[in-house]
Amino acid sequence: MSETTDVAVQDGGESLDRGPVSQFLSENGFEHEFLGRDHRNVEMISLSREVLPIIAKLIYGMGYNYLQCQCGYDLGPGKDLVSTYHLTKLSDRAERPEELRIKVFVPRDDPRVPSMYWIWKTADWQERETYDMYGIIYEGHPNLKRILMPEDWVGWPMRKDYVTPDFYELQDAY
Amino acid sequence: MVMTPSESDALGANPQKELQFPVEKPQVTSDLSNNVILTTINDLYSWAKMSSVWPLLYGTSCCFIEFAAMIGSRFDFDRFGLLPRSSPRQADLIITAGTVTMKMAPALVKLYQQMPEPKYVIAMGACTITGGMFSTDSYTTVRGVDKLIPVDVYIPGCPPRPEAIMDAIIKLRKKMSAEDMRELGNKMPTHRYYSVPHELKPVPEILTGEYLEAATRQAPPPELAAMYGIEVPEAIKSAQPEKLAQEAGQ
Repeated sequence: MSETTDVAVQDGGESLDRGPVSQFLSENGFEHEFLGRDHRNVEMISLSREVLPIIAKLIYGMGYNYLQCQCGYDLGPGKDLVSTYHLTKLSDRAERPEELRIKVFVPRDDPRVPSMYWIWKTADWQERETYDMYGIIYEGHPNLKRILMPEDWVGWPMRKDYVTPDFYELQDAY
Repeated sequence: MVMTPSESDALGANPQKELQFPVEKPQVTSDLSNNVILTTINDLYSWAKMSSVWPLLYGTSCCFIEFAAMIGSRFDFDRFGLLPRSSPRQADLIITAGTVTMKMAPALVKLYQQMPEPKYVIAMGACTITGGMFSTDSYTTVRGVDKLIPVDVYIPGCPPRPEAIMDAIIKLRKKMSAEDMRELGNKMPTHRYYSVPHELKPVPEILTGEYLEAATRQAPPPELAAMYGIEVPEAIKSAQPEKLAQEAGQ
């Protein structure tokens, strides 16, 4: 891949195998970080939450019209929370469509991310679930409230530093 | 046959007939044994009760699949007089088929409280006995429904087969037949682990059909719209040749 090598050299030679999206973003001067490829060779990029909406819209324009999965994870106690978006191109007679994974790292004490509902409608309930489990606040979401846990639940159960409350119902049965 | 023979008979040709033990079968005893049942009201009540145990159609996860197989014709639990009811007001039995979470717990207790006495509970599967595979590290699974409602029979298994439910029904019938009617009034639980006060308050309707028409769904908030708005058309325009080039390259 000679073209890729050229771009990588321009970009400081940090990676020799950039994906098409990362390459395109670099060429056009959009701020992002290439995270490499996963075991299935899916390109992964990291975006800051400030540029997420505009780059997401751009990526939507590139044909990534299907948000396959939106989810969150926790890097560990005291570390960042991550909101991820797995995108693909849905079309007729698609064979091995390109895929892309976007990760947005947000600090634990201020976990705000712009909502992707207005680009990919699938994000609606998936963002609600990520909010429910990790407490990541999706700004601009039309109906951001708990989806699985009781609405009066306190805390974010899937965070690594979550301490399960000592309710009678949750104590071990003997 | 007449029990007290008339005087003419008594003075008849055959005095042997007056004997206390006649040759014929005693007709009265045979009539009685064919037509009269002697029982206690307690047995009659238990018999009626245990032959029509109507379970509530209640299932929260995979155990209900086995329970549903039990309803079907292959295992056929109608023959025990079990007709699934969809209203707790008509049900005598609740089989807690499936994991119960903290969110489901108040609903389960309310369903149990709405059932008329006498009522019975069968805890089906590992989840409703101890929490099962969710008994460690789960932030929401109730570790056994006996923390919420009193349980009569436990069926272990994950999930138990329909035969196990059948066995549990038979054990429950044995338990029911051993009960005494005179103790009916004493069956009310004296110590409840969990109860929901039925102080229902009207709340605004949520299923109004206007979910998608909510004002928040019509347009993004202005800040977000501004973030989307910046030079996107140009970006999309410049993205198109790139996409074409990629497709040509493949």
